[in-house]
Amino acid sequence: MINWALFNTEIYFLITAAAFLVLSLLPKADAKRDYVTALSLSAIGIGVALAGINQQGDMFAQAYRIDLFSQVFKVLLSMGLFLIICICSELKSIPERLHPEFYFLLATATLAMMILVSSVHLLTVYISLELSSYCLYILVYLRTEHRLSLSATLRYFIIGATASAVMLFGLAILYSFTGSAYLIDIVKTLPSVIDRPMVIIGLFFTLAGFFFKLAVFPFHFWVPEAYHGASNQVAAYIATASKVAAIAILIRIIALSGGHSEYLAKVLICLSIISMTVGNLSAIVQKDLKKLLAYSSIAHAGYALIGILSMNHPGYAGAVFYALALLILKFTCFFVVTKAAADGENPTMDHLAGLHRRSPILALALLLALFGLAGIPPTVGFTGKLLVFTAAIQQGYFFLVLIAMINVVISLYYYILVLKAAYLTEPETPLPRFSTPVSVKILATAMITAIVAAGLFPAYLIRIAEAATAVFI
Amino acid sequence: MDMQYANFPYLSTLLIVCIAGLFTILFLPAGEQKKIKWAGAVFSGLTMVMSIFLFVAYDKNIGGLQFVERVLWVPSLGIYWFNGADGFNLPMLLLTGIVFFTGVLSMWELDTRVKEFFALYFLLVTGVFGLFMSLDLFFIFVWYDVSLFPMYLLIAVWGSTRKEYGAMKLTLYLLAGSALILPAILYLVNVSGLKTFDLVALMAPGTLTPFQQKFAFIFIYIGFGILAGVWPFHTWSPVGHVAAPTSVSMVHAGVLMKIGAFGVLRVGIFLCPEGWRYFAPLMAVLATIGIVYGAFVGLTQKDLKYVIGYSSVSHMGIVGLGLSTLTIEGMNGAVYQMFAHGIMTALFFSSVGYIYDKTHTKMIPELGGLSRVIPVAAFFFILAALTSIGVPGLASFWGELVVFIACFKVYPVLAVVSICGLVVTALFMLRVVQKTCYGTPNEHHAHIRDISFAMGIPRMILSVVIIFFGLFPSFMFDMIETASSSFFKGLP
Repeated sequence: MINWALFNTEIYFLITAAAFLVLSLLPKADAKRDYVTALSLSAIGIGVALAGINQQGDMFAQAYRIDLFSQVFKVLLSMGLFLIICICSELKSIPERLHPEFYFLLATATLAMMILVSSVHLLTVYISLELSSYCLYILVYLRTEHRLSLSATLRYFIIGATASAVMLFGLAILYSFTGSAYLIDIVKTLPSVIDRPMVIIGLFFTLAGFFFKLAVFPFHFWVPEAYHGASNQVAAYIATASKVAAIAILIRIIALSGGHSEYLAKVLICLSIISMTVGNLSAIVQKDLKKLLAYSSIAHAGYALIGILSMNHPGYAGAVFYALALLILKFTCFFVVTKAAADGENPTMDHLAGLHRRSPILALALLLALFGLAGIPPTVGFTGKLLVFTAAIQQGYFFLVLIAMINVVISLYYYILVLKAAYLTEPETPLPRFSTPVSVKILATAMITAIVAAGLFPAYLIRIAEAATAVFI
Repeated sequence: MDMQYANFPYLSTLLIVCIAGLFTILFLPAGEQKKIKWAGAVFSGLTMVMSIFLFVAYDKNIGGLQFVERVLWVPSLGIYWFNGADGFNLPMLLLTGIVFFTGVLSMWELDTRVKEFFALYFLLVTGVFGLFMSLDLFFIFVWYDVSLFPMYLLIAVWGSTRKEYGAMKLTLYLLAGSALILPAILYLVNVSGLKTFDLVALMAPGTLTPFQQKFAFIFIYIGFGILAGVWPFHTWSPVGHVAAPTSVSMVHAGVLMKIGAFGVLRVGIFLCPEGWRYFAPLMAVLATIGIVYGAFVGLTQKDLKYVIGYSSVSHMGIVGLGLSTLTIEGMNGAVYQMFAHGIMTALFFSSVGYIYDKTHTKMIPELGGLSRVIPVAAFFFILAALTSIGVPGLASFWGELVVFIACFKVYPVLAVVSICGLVVTALFMLRVVQKTCYGTPNEHHAHIRDISFAMGIPRMILSVVIIFFGLFPSFMFDMIETASSSFFKGLP
């Protein structure tokens, strides 16, 4: 007997998706109507996800697990969806008739990621991962009138398909060695066979699919192109919600090894270092803000990986906290650049010129978000970094932390360049004062508060993160 | 370490006053420049009064940590909101209070983006106050970065002379320092096995092995040393000081560089005494090079602010030298010198700021005869220069004297070399004074008005402090002595 009450959140988002499917069938396109519907449905979605936070149980022949870990991530994902929809009020880069489809795909992608974070069977993991990826491929392509959207989608799709094929192979290997597709069985047998070369290879192949999602080297090549070609809102979604889900599932999979594998840790350390360095060094030369944020995403994948590869309780908890930090900070950055390039164009440094006069509050939000991404206190980004670094130091990875901190210094350079554009550069031709309606001001204030408050008073959030990851120890 | 819990959270209140000032400024409309400046003056004046109160209210007979507040902040990591005052940080808090208030007054004539300037300035000083009073490694690091946070904008927006370059260089250098400090702090917390960031708990003898102390000390010394302007990591400092606007230069050279030295003392020397002993000769050599190098480079500068910038490198070398002697006298002298140099540099930058505002130049050859044109402003400048030389009766004299007496016993050769460096400093300071304040006045500057009474207030305060502590150094030395003697007693 299946207890459907456990499935509330997913059912809710399924209904949301279905609602937009119906809206897309209506003959008359109405952007305003779609936006308001999406906003209200996703706002309720947060409530639904929060209501289910204490649920526990198994479903679907134990292929699906509801626990605090999955429910926390569902709340984060629903928050991500809501925030992204908040910045969709001027969705100029996507044709109006496609708006219902856009929301439909967003909701479906979120639903797929929610299923992903609850999956404890190799098949459900794979299916939900693919479902979310397919939604994202189409979302990138929805900016049909932009010359780059097709090539971006193709590149995204090809790399994604490759990663997923590799991953499927890895899953097969894991299954053949452990004799089970249930993660709960794998975690029992895997530590005893983890030192066999084939198992290591299988595990890495499996990880390929998630590395692709999180944009860890060497599966990061799609990121700048996809962000560049996709509309700003979709890029924001990929940078926030999608990364959160990837961190969640990576924690689940890496925790399978039980923290006993030297190889695994070493390889992950290398990948983490390369991701940070490649991301940060490439970001330095970017003039296009979305590309810059894309490369910084790659670097942040490296930092998040530090928590996961520590394979101890503080590390997993740190990674969960880091996911929250990334969600808030990356979203705030995208929020500001989307507003700065309100015509739906790709935002560049020039769009930010004179921002401090045109909209002081957005400039302040950008300032905090950038310093947060650089990991400077008192922001949530610093607390996240502190947690993952503490975990790494506990495992004796002193030099990994040192390298990460040096990367932080490099990253600060390009974050400051963005800041300079917003605070120092004056526009060559006087730009129009862009409208900052009350809703924008409220959202900006909320984000500023969240960044600083979660940075200064993290005790409660850390406790939740620790409780959520207690199952892996 | 003895601890006297506070019956009232004086230290937190000091921070809250700063933050309240920050928010008051944020919520005033940008057009109300006068109100913003008054709010700045009132709140910074309050902090100065509070820091003087703390300095006076500290009971030297009991010693140890007083006004202690300790609240668990993040239980799972062992982070405490832990503040306390002792003989080391009270002079620094006093220094910060004075420089903060006089800095606000020195910027009274600012007219571009006033609101943002004062908001960032308050944030900067909040970080500085927080760092000096904190006894928790987490918060020490947080405050360190909070005080860096606004630096870039403060310099790049309101500065002069290659300001963007100077701002970027400064920010990246100082952040590089923090990149070394954080891993070292986490390392120490982890190897101690105590799961706490509480500095006092970590200080207990036997917590850390000698190897761990040496290993961490290197990172902490270089990390904070960058901010203290230790040669060869000093190159950000003259560039940054020159580029920064007046009050930021004042805070920066006057207070922020002290954070570096204070960090070496509070985190490096307190936690890793073994590392300190082991690396002390190296510290002494670097400090001596800094003293001599700063003096010689300063000799060739044409820009007034560069002259002060390099003299800061030289004077901070004296602090480093004092700390590296491993003696009570050396430590007393170093902390005294930190205070005296802070006040002196603040007066220096404040006077140069006035000269630059009026003449629009800070190039020495273009100035001249200022003592005839603007006698009062020139007086402050000359007083600062004399303090910098170390004339008896002015504050710096005592710090330098005590450090060199201590140094002669431990490193006689280095002491002689450093004193030669000081002679060069005296030489170039006198040369600067002679060229700017005497000689024929530049006729373009003939019409300049002398400093008004209101604009003279901040310089007067600084001058009074310099003379007071020059005449009565024991007020300060007694205070520092309580902390340094108990620290040396606690050493294994």
